[in-house]
Order: sequence, then structure tokens, then C-alpha cells
Amino acid sequence: MIIIARTALPGPELDGIREFVERHGLRTHVSHGTDRTVIGCVGDARAIDPHAVRALPGVEEVIPVRKPYRLASREFVAGRTVIPLGDRRGTLIGGPQLVVAAGPCSVEGRAMLLETATAVRASGARMLRGGAFKPRTSPWVFQGLGVEALELLAEARAATGLPVVTEVMDPRQVELVAAHADVLQIGARNMQNYALLAEVGRVRRPVLLKRGLSATVSELLLAAEHVMAQGNRDVILCERGIRTFETATRNTLDVGAVAVLKLETHLPVIVDPSHAAGRADLVAPLAFAAVAAGADGLIVEVHPRPSEARSDGDQSLTPAVFDDLMRALAPFAAAAGRTLDDEAPREPRARVA
Amino acid sequence: MTAARQADPVLAKLRADLEVLDGEIVRLVALRVETARAIGAHKRAAGVPTLDAPREAAVIRRAAAAARDAALPEEPLRAIFWQLVELCRRAQEEV
Repeated sequence: MIIIARTALPGPELDGIREFVERHGLRTHVSHGTDRTVIGCVGDARAIDPHAVRALPGVEEVIPVRKPYRLASREFVAGRTVIPLGDRRGTLIGGPQLVVAAGPCSVEGRAMLLETATAVRASGARMLRGGAFKPRTSPWVFQGLGVEALELLAEARAATGLPVVTEVMDPRQVELVAAHADVLQIGARNMQNYALLAEVGRVRRPVLLKRGLSATVSELLLAAEHVMAQGNRDVILCERGIRTFETATRNTLDVGAVAVLKLETHLPVIVDPSHAAGRADLVAPLAFAAVAAGADGLIVEVHPRPSEARSDGDQSLTPAVFDDLMRALAPFAAAAGRTLDDEAPREPRARVA
Repeated sequence: MTAARQADPVLAKLRADLEVLDGEIVRLVALRVETARAIGAHKRAAGVPTLDAPREAAVIRRAAAAARDAALPEEPLRAIFWQLVELCRRAQEEV
């Protein structure tokens, strides 16, 4: 149940509405907007008579919720969630700026990470991505540098000012990863690892939640709900392609899901065109489609020498190609009412053939 | 953390003050749990159910009003008190 109340409701009146609901064993979450106050009620609302709520002072409307998700639902809050990434430039995701995160699939060493971080920042990336703990389909391939990679990511952040996003795979590592990273990534394979979702819900770091390979939009939102139910409301959703019968791309980028999510939830939505494509030459067109569909940002794999990458080399862009992508994105961003990085000077440059 | 910050006497004193306050908070929480156990025993003897949702809602409302009076942010105080209420309800149930 969602209760719409007057704006600037005096404390005791708001308390009265919340107490009425909480007397029935539910919990309330209040969101103050410019033209309304939204009181979201979580729990079994069947025992509550909506007419009695409607009669309380300050209440304007009572809306039953038919969706399985609550905290992530767009009805539940007064506006859109805008999440600060914690960098000195004050980058916000979910606002008018199109935020691009870029970096290697895996952190493979100090030199390659710093080289990539410096290059992607110069091209206008606002966040550095890099895997420290890698969930690989096979246990016999490179699994990431672990703690050493976390320290290198922190060093790259200090050198470039870019906030860092990296994946956390295990509830026992959440505190460790949160001590080094600005944004915690939950990978597609862990989207329904509820113990892990609960653990990242208890820390004060934004969470980048990737859609599972076979998860529906509703399941993605319910996974976000698990994080938010623990108190962490800063969840960024990520569409990264789903498994379909099509094999021409590594996964099928579900552009429709981006449009659906923008209608269903107040949370920011970003797209990972690299994992969806599985091939470097498809990354740009998928990125354009994502921005046109309303994505708040992109997360792109960039490696200084993709042929030498220890994971996902086929889909990694070189820094030069990433720079081309950022230039080519600008008109798509503008058409979607977005701005790209306003600080990086965009000198004309001869296109690399 | 740098050595200079670790050696800062003002910071050290303020941190020591916080530790005393934390000890006091834990002591008061223990006292609240103890009182809840007594309530639980009394309810059991009287044949009254442990969960009293209207009473819990009233406790939270009072905490929210007190938070406003003390110029503290209301939502975190509500969250803390929900944790306290749930902790004490479990203590009542364990009697």
C-alpha cells in the first residue's frame, strides 16, 4: 500500500499516519517530494481498511500495490533516485549526466590498470571498473588477483580521481571490498545470492546490481528489493544481456528491459554493452541503443592490449576505440536529453583507421 | 591513517569520550532487554501474547517525536528503535 500525503506535513500528523499503519505490523518508508509526500508501507496490508487511512489528517490518496516489489517501485518514492559516486567531482548517477564506467575486465597488474585508468579518464569516463574477484564459468581459468587487485584499484583511484566499481562475490568479503571500492558490483551470476544481497544491503556503498543471465525484469527488481530491505537504498541496476536462442552475440541485449525499468523503478539503470555483445565491434551500436532507450550510464570493458587480456579480450575495446566511442556517443546522449562529461576537452582528432 | 593523526591528543580525548558513551549505550540496551524479559514473564503468566503491534508503533512514534525535539535526523532514530523493539520482543519470547 502507498499513501500519498500533503507536502510539508507537520511531524505529528505524519507520525499519526505512520503509527496507524505500523499498529498493524507493517513498516513505513517516507519519501518527501516537491509536490507530495509518499509513505510506502511494507508488510501485509490486508488487515488495514484503506478508507480509514484515507480519513486520517493529511492523507490525499491511498493506492494499493499489486507489484511484488515495493522499495524499488517507482510508485514508492516521490522522485528518481540519484546516487553520488563519492568522487571529488561530485558525479551523480541517475541525473541528467550520462555516466560511463570503463576499465579492464580483470585487474591484471599495476601498469596496465594505471594505463587504462588514465586513458579512459581522458576520454571522459567517470568511473573505473576492474575485476579483482572474478566469477569464471570454469574453475581452471584466471580467477582474478584478489586483494592485490583491490589495492591497485585504490591506487588507480588516487592517481586519476575516478571512483572505482568492482565485484564482490562472497558475503565474507563485503567489508574488505567496501574498504577499497566506491561502488560494489553484484555480478550476473550472483543476482539471486540472497545472503550476498543482504550483506551489501548493510553497508553504505552504492551497489551495482547486474541482471542475471536468465532473470526477468521482475526478478531483477526483487533482487534490488533484497538489498534495499536491509537499509541500503543506493542500487544501480545493470542490463548486461540475457541468454536467448541467438548465438550471434554472446548474450542478447534486452534494450526493452531498459525502457521497462525506466517506467517501473526510480533506481538508475545502466547498460553493459561489452558483455551483451561479446565482440568489440558490436559494443558501440549496442551502447548507442542503450542511451537511446534511456540508460543513465554505461559500463564498458577497455584493455590496453585486448589480445593479451586474461579474460574477455574479445569484447574489450582499446583505449583509442573507447575514445572514438565516447565521441560518437555525444549526439546520442544529447538526443536523449543527457550530457556527457563536460570537463574533458574534446579536441578534434584524426580517426584511427 | 597517518602517524600524525594517530598522535592527535584532541582526537584521542574525543574518541575516549565516545567509548565511554558507547559503554553507557550498551549498558542501557542491556537494561532494556532485562526489563523486556520481565514483561515477557509477566505476559506469559497473564496469558497475554508477546507481540503487541500497537504498542510497538507507539514506542516508535514517541522515539520519532523525541528525535525531532533533540534536532536529530528522524529516520535513522526510527531505524535504531525498530532494532531495539525487535531485540526486546525476541527477549520477551525467550523467557
